[in-house]
Amino acid sequence: MCGGLRAGGGGNDVQWCFSQVKGAIDDDVAEADIISTVEFNHSGELLATGDKGGRVVIFQQETENKSQPQCRSEYNVYSTFQSHEPEFDYLKSLEIEEKINKIRWLPQKNAAQFLLSTNDKTIKLWKISERDKRPEGYNLKEEDGRYRDAATITTLRVPVFRPMDLMVEASPRRVFANGHTYHINSISVNSDNETYLSADDLRINLWHLEITDRSFNVVDIKPANMEELTEVITAAEFHPHQCNTFVYSSSKGTIRLCDMRASALCDKHSKLFEEPEDPSNRSFFSEIISSISDVKFSHNGRYMMTRDYLSVKIWDLNMENRPVETYQVHEYLRSKLCSLYENDCIFDKFECCWNGNDSVVMTGSYNNFFRMLDRSQRRDVTLEASRESCKPRQVLKPRRVCAGGKRKKDEISVDSLDFNKKILHTAWHPQENIIAVATTNNLYIFQEKVN
Amino acid sequence: MEYKVEAHRIMSISLGKIYNSRVQRGGIKLHKNLLVSLVLRSARQVYLSDYYSGACLNAQSEREGNEWDITDSEREKFPPSATECDRVESTEEPQPNEQPEKEREYRENDDEVKSDQVDCTSTLQEQNQNSSLDSVAKVSSETPPESITEPKESPSDSAVAERDSTPEANGESHQPPKPYVCSNRKRSAEESESGDSPQKRTKVASSNAKEDEEAEEMDTSNVSNLITIFGSSFSGLLSKESAKPEAEAEDSGQICCDQMLKNLNPWSTAIVAF
Repeated sequence: MCGGLRAGGGGNDVQWCFSQVKGAIDDDVAEADIISTVEFNHSGELLATGDKGGRVVIFQQETENKSQPQCRSEYNVYSTFQSHEPEFDYLKSLEIEEKINKIRWLPQKNAAQFLLSTNDKTIKLWKISERDKRPEGYNLKEEDGRYRDAATITTLRVPVFRPMDLMVEASPRRVFANGHTYHINSISVNSDNETYLSADDLRINLWHLEITDRSFNVVDIKPANMEELTEVITAAEFHPHQCNTFVYSSSKGTIRLCDMRASALCDKHSKLFEEPEDPSNRSFFSEIISSISDVKFSHNGRYMMTRDYLSVKIWDLNMENRPVETYQVHEYLRSKLCSLYENDCIFDKFECCWNGNDSVVMTGSYNNFFRMLDRSQRRDVTLEASRESCKPRQVLKPRRVCAGGKRKKDEISVDSLDFNKKILHTAWHPQENIIAVATTNNLYIFQEKVN
Repeated sequence: MEYKVEAHRIMSISLGKIYNSRVQRGGIKLHKNLLVSLVLRSARQVYLSDYYSGACLNAQSEREGNEWDITDSEREKFPPSATECDRVESTEEPQPNEQPEKEREYRENDDEVKSDQVDCTSTLQEQNQNSSLDSVAKVSSETPPESITEPKESPSDSAVAERDSTPEANGESHQPPKPYVCSNRKRSAEESESGDSPQKRTKVASSNAKEDEEAEEMDTSNVSNLITIFGSSFSGLLSKESAKPEAEAEDSGQICCDQMLKNLNPWSTAIVAF
């Protein structure tokens, strides 16, 4: 970023400005273009998105232009490739969707970049590398690749490398297949940089990045009799520093922390995080809305955040019986749960993310709203990702939803919210105040206002 | 009774979702189907309990008058909130008492199908007599573990005792002249809070058959409408091979319904079809 940006901080004294938007403008959304995951790499230089069509698009941040302090580094397309294709499981007569459920970057070790991308059944390790020179002057081949007639060769020359236009290549280096019977919902790279976990509805497997033909099952909650099934695994993540520790969340609103040193099979948790249900909020749909859709460790590894349908909770890893902080994301929806059940919105899986220094968390909502929750200042703001606020460096205006009663000016009433416009995936640059917010088929990039 | 209509509607919607999930691309989503089956189960309990409370309303009017004095802490499931579903349920006062019991015990016995039985039981208990009020009050105010282990607790027992349809059934809460349906017949010893009198349990056991028949009779007409609506859908499902994810999703749909509905023929046809 150009000039004096506060690194990683930001809450409500931060003003967010529009920076860029990627994706088609027209309202007719092709299903394949629906964004299904967004992830910055560890340096923040690269931003990857996956979509329902199985494609991965990687954006790269331009290097700063220090001579122009007002300029903002922009993210431009760096690489696009088809990660997964639709498959058909002939044995079960099931189609396997190519939708990319998750992308996770590996920490960079050399010039190339590596990421893991997964659909419902198969995880792939992709290598993204740059090529900016090519060999020229082969003796036996023409420049276009055709072989020369040996009889016509009268001299020998040494091939040399000549510069060429930058080409970014993505190649699949590993394919981790057949590890999961149920749908994969999470992948998480271990801090040891050698292993990663993948979680489906009932099982969590541990893989080695080099080994594709087998994995270790570390959690299995499948009951002997499937009729007794009462909860499924909804998300899992490795601890950012402790390579033996991971957590997984359930559809019942609990989080289990497991220590792989304790035993080979981590069915017995080391810690169980669960908050007693508030009886005054009971309804038909209490169970659905308590299902956790995302779990994320803080960068410092001391906290974790969970997202359920209506709230975000911050947990201290040392306290299991209740979260240390709870934030309502869109409490005004509590009275609409029946309608949201009918139109399936109640099953939407919202993600959440931390900023670089763990002081602010962000999550999405409906009507293309997203919420910034400042932990240190105990304040929150609702912003909107819309094409109407797309002028360069336009400051985003806080939005307010009127739950009932008299609607003030500039407020939007609950009944006017567009539930088809949902922000499920957001990502925060690991060091700077740059955020990527995915609407249905567009990716918005917002940055902190620079004065 | 609007809440009955609402519960019926939610059941229809839930069944529709379960059916549609089979034709969705990517196969059955276990998580979503599990959640839908939970809602289906809750709606069904409300629906059935409404039915019985309505049927016996006249006979029970005297007793139920006492139940209107239920404390707020017991109106846990359906407080008079703004939710469309909640509102209709809160109009039926016995309702709120049932659900907390159900919810707690469900959460407790999350690995047990019998939780369904207890739940169904508990939906019925509230229509019971004065003594049940005390036990209900206890249940509502206790934390889940306690509500299960509390020996004096007799909500399930009250249900086992069945609802007394005649005014003669007095304060002695454990007289089962008119047996109730579903869960009772499946209740295991550990479920019934131990405060039961042995006499009551014996009666329960012996009246199972009677319960079933009565339940079936009462339920059939309501259920058959649903079956008619979904009848053609289910027939296709029967022929599906038992691919693992499907079987499991089917099972998850069955979890909540199966034990309770086994002896209700129309229901079992529908659910087994999954």
